[in-house]
Amino acid sequence: MLLTALALIRSWFADRPLTVAAWTALAAGAMIGMWAGRLVAKRLAFHAFDGLLAEDALQPQARRRYIVAWHGVGLALLASITLIARPSLLILSAPAYLAGVLVAGLANGFGMPHRIAGPVRPGWTILAWSRRWIAGASAAMILLLSLLPARVLDTNVLMAVVGIEAVLLALMLARVDDAIVRFMTIAGSGSRRIIGYHTKGLAAFLVVGVTGCWGMLGRSAAGIVAAASAAMVLLLTLRILAYRLHAKRLADLLVAILAGLLTLVAYAMPVALPVIILAILWHLQRRGRTKTWLLA
Amino acid sequence: MAAGMTPIIQLAGATVERSGQRVVHGVDLTISHGSWFGVIGANGSGKTSLLRALAGRLPFAAGSCRVEGEELAGDRAGRARRFGFAPPADTLPDALRGRDVLELVGGSIDAARLRLGTLHEALGLAPLLDRWVGDCSAGMRQRIAIAAAFAGGHPLVILDEPFNWLDPVATFDLRENLRKTVDAGLTLVTALHDLGTLASACDAGLMLADGKVALALDEDALRIAARDPQTFERQTIDRLRSGSVTQA
Repeated sequence: MLLTALALIRSWFADRPLTVAAWTALAAGAMIGMWAGRLVAKRLAFHAFDGLLAEDALQPQARRRYIVAWHGVGLALLASITLIARPSLLILSAPAYLAGVLVAGLANGFGMPHRIAGPVRPGWTILAWSRRWIAGASAAMILLLSLLPARVLDTNVLMAVVGIEAVLLALMLARVDDAIVRFMTIAGSGSRRIIGYHTKGLAAFLVVGVTGCWGMLGRSAAGIVAAASAAMVLLLTLRILAYRLHAKRLADLLVAILAGLLTLVAYAMPVALPVIILAILWHLQRRGRTKTWLLA
Repeated sequence: MAAGMTPIIQLAGATVERSGQRVVHGVDLTISHGSWFGVIGANGSGKTSLLRALAGRLPFAAGSCRVEGEELAGDRAGRARRFGFAPPADTLPDALRGRDVLELVGGSIDAARLRLGTLHEALGLAPLLDRWVGDCSAGMRQRIAIAAAFAGGHPLVILDEPFNWLDPVATFDLRENLRKTVDAGLTLVTALHDLGTLASACDAGLMLADGKVALALDEDALRIAARDPQTFERQTIDRLRSGSVTQA
């Protein structure tokens, strides 16, 4: 399976223009870095509080060595895959990985466990803030302000910048905590209420972002922001519906498969995309309806 | 049930299954309006399953469940809407504050606070409202979970072992406050491990053994138990050991 996956990755990267391959490597490196950063931080917190290695996990030097060792492994793996896929992209994927680790560290805290146990919780605070209207409106303002100097760019480049920024900002607003979804389900919230609770930020981003982009850059840019926001709403909805049905890992796997399926449909049969989306949402919603209030 | 008291919850032949296994077998019980009903039993005796099924968090596999005269055995959501229910403390999400939990269950925090009344102070909720659940101790989580059961303003409340993890002061304050709230009209159903609380605070109760009613305790039986708690404890422990199915 590993060999097949590597062959597929190499084949995909080999067929892509350099710019597309470079952006993909950059995004993938950053996301893997963030994921690995969170994973290592969580493991370290476990060792500090509940594990048998608490004494070591509370020493700054040992903590640093632990972090460096695991990210060394992660970086080596990513570098190996990049070298197999397209060696020239190593210059992007490795720094992107480190940037991702840095972002995860800023969100979760690199520091000693007293920060983890203290009242300041950047990760949870950002998660809670991302569900508010004001977060979506602020993200849209960031988008519009950052596009002010970009108006001099060539139209195609400008639209690409709009798309990338809109996707990244919308992605930040589309965070879902599986434990909150499960708690709301036990407390009697249906899918609609849970989705509404999580999409306030995205809705504000959609309204302010689309209106602002339309006024500033025209309807094409507004369409790109609307499409990015809608895609994130869809992704968030799929995750919520899946978390109502399954444990996190299985739900994430299911969403990844469905997202892949929808991407294929969008590429091969775009006309059928709305029907497929509605069918998937209806099926998940129908199965999830029986889970409301349920505490197995 | 004392003469003249109105039955508000009636189970007849209530049966609950979990993962295909029958864990509660044909339980009959009647709970009066404005009373505190305690359920005791050994670990794995079916207390939690029975209370979750009554609260609409699990389906009944068979039997009748009448709440305020309405048959709800086949209407899980209907039962869930009738009861305030404390979620297990370990299901509270780390990434929510105490305030968020109460708002999700009871609407605005002001409305939840109003419905909680004196329980708000008894549970020491003020410092927990702005605290992340993930930063709370087991006892703090338990206090938030209990508050969640009352945040919706239900006149029927189910608490599964509410005194677990609470310190002695919190246990005393909560028990006193629950008793006052029951005297003011609340109907409360709790699973308990503390026989002293059952004898001194509850109006009626039952003991479960292997999913069956091993002992039904009416108001008179608990009044006698409250007068001689040591004898009651010895007799109850003997029954729990033997798991015998009898009526008091």
